Amino acid sequence: MLSHLVAGQTLYFGDSLFYIVCFLLLMWLIKIFAWKPVTKMMQDRSDKIANDIDSAEKSRTDAANLVAKRQEALNASHAEAQTIVQTAKTNGQQQRDQIVAQAQTDVQTLKATAQKDIAQEREDALANARDDVADLSIEIASKIIQRELNADDQKALIDSYIEGLGKQHES
Amino acid sequence: MNDGPVSTFQFLGLTFSTANVVSGLVVFLLVFAVVFFTSRHLALKPTKGQNFLEWLIEFTNGILKGSIPANQVSSFGLYGFTLFLFLFLSNQLGLFLQLTFHGATIVRSPTSDPIVTLTFSLMTLMLAQFAGVQRLGYKKHFANYLKPFVFWLPISIFEEFTNFLTLGLRIFGVIFSGEMLLKLIWGLATSHGIATMIVAVPIEMVWQGFSAFLGAIQAFVFVTLSSVYISQKIEVEE
Repeated sequence: MLSHLVAGQTLYFGDSLFYIVCFLLLMWLIKIFAWKPVTKMMQDRSDKIANDIDSAEKSRTDAANLVAKRQEALNASHAEAQTIVQTAKTNGQQQRDQIVAQAQTDVQTLKATAQKDIAQEREDALANARDDVADLSIEIASKIIQRELNADDQKALIDSYIEGLGKQHES
Repeated sequence: MNDGPVSTFQFLGLTFSTANVVSGLVVFLLVFAVVFFTSRHLALKPTKGQNFLEWLIEFTNGILKGSIPANQVSSFGLYGFTLFLFLFLSNQLGLFLQLTFHGATIVRSPTSDPIVTLTFSLMTLMLAQFAGVQRLGYKKHFANYLKPFVFWLPISIFEEFTNFLTLGLRIFGVIFSGEMLLKLIWGLATSHGIATMIVAVPIEMVWQGFSAFLGAIQAFVFVTLSSVYISQKIEVEE
């Protein structure tokens, strides 16, 4: 029937069966040896590329964040350093002023004390000198008196003394 | 082709043509060898052979994607790939290798015999029917024959026939005529000694190159039309 329809050629239906079997067998072999592993590999690759893109995006944002953080920290440390230097400067200024003031007051006190001491000493020395002069003059006077005082005079002195005593009684 | 006796043999009560069986086996081995040796040592970073194979797979998948919805392509990818390789090498085989044994041809393009091309055509249409029933169910699948209206049914059924014949005979016609012309030119070349040889051999070479091109185009067209027929069956017609 169909066997002489086409181009006057004889068709052998056994061939049809042979080609179907051949083709299915070939398809099965290709599936086992190549199709499955290759498509799996291609899938793996596309997955990997997608993952890589994602992770690259992630690391990019991470890096950007890190840079921003670093910049911020750097700025903060600049400011901190400035405040530290400023504080140190003011502290130093303050301390210097304090020390100078302290030194001035110390000097003043020292000066005052020294002046007081000097005055005191002079006073003392003066007092001593006065005492000494008094003693000396008394000694001198007593020496002079002892030598000048003879028996008459002694008697007169005693008398005057007694007289004085009597006057004291009377009063 | 059909000049000279055709060698046949009987097996299980069926008649086989020796030429078809032998050339079919040759193509089978060629396809398997190509695929087998390019798929060794697969790696995530592809090397030469793997690159070629992956390019081929992408190419046939690309043909299928032209008409089949992208999410369904994976179930027909292997079919399209095997079909393309088999038909392509079948078309080329006869251009470079034609063996005759005791006067009968035993190696030539298998696709220059209509029974082979019609077998592939039938296989595609069967796959289309199967896929249609599998995806849509019997009811919707056969309801497609009644669209756009009930009286379209005879045309739908007739269309299946014409699809079957045109799909198979297109490739057969091109390859058959190509080989026939090759033989005619060769006959001319050997007819009057060296003088005709000088004239005919360049023509033969040009025609061989053109036939190789046609063979590639026909394999591509066959797979394209296969995917179109399959896509028609796995979608509900509006």
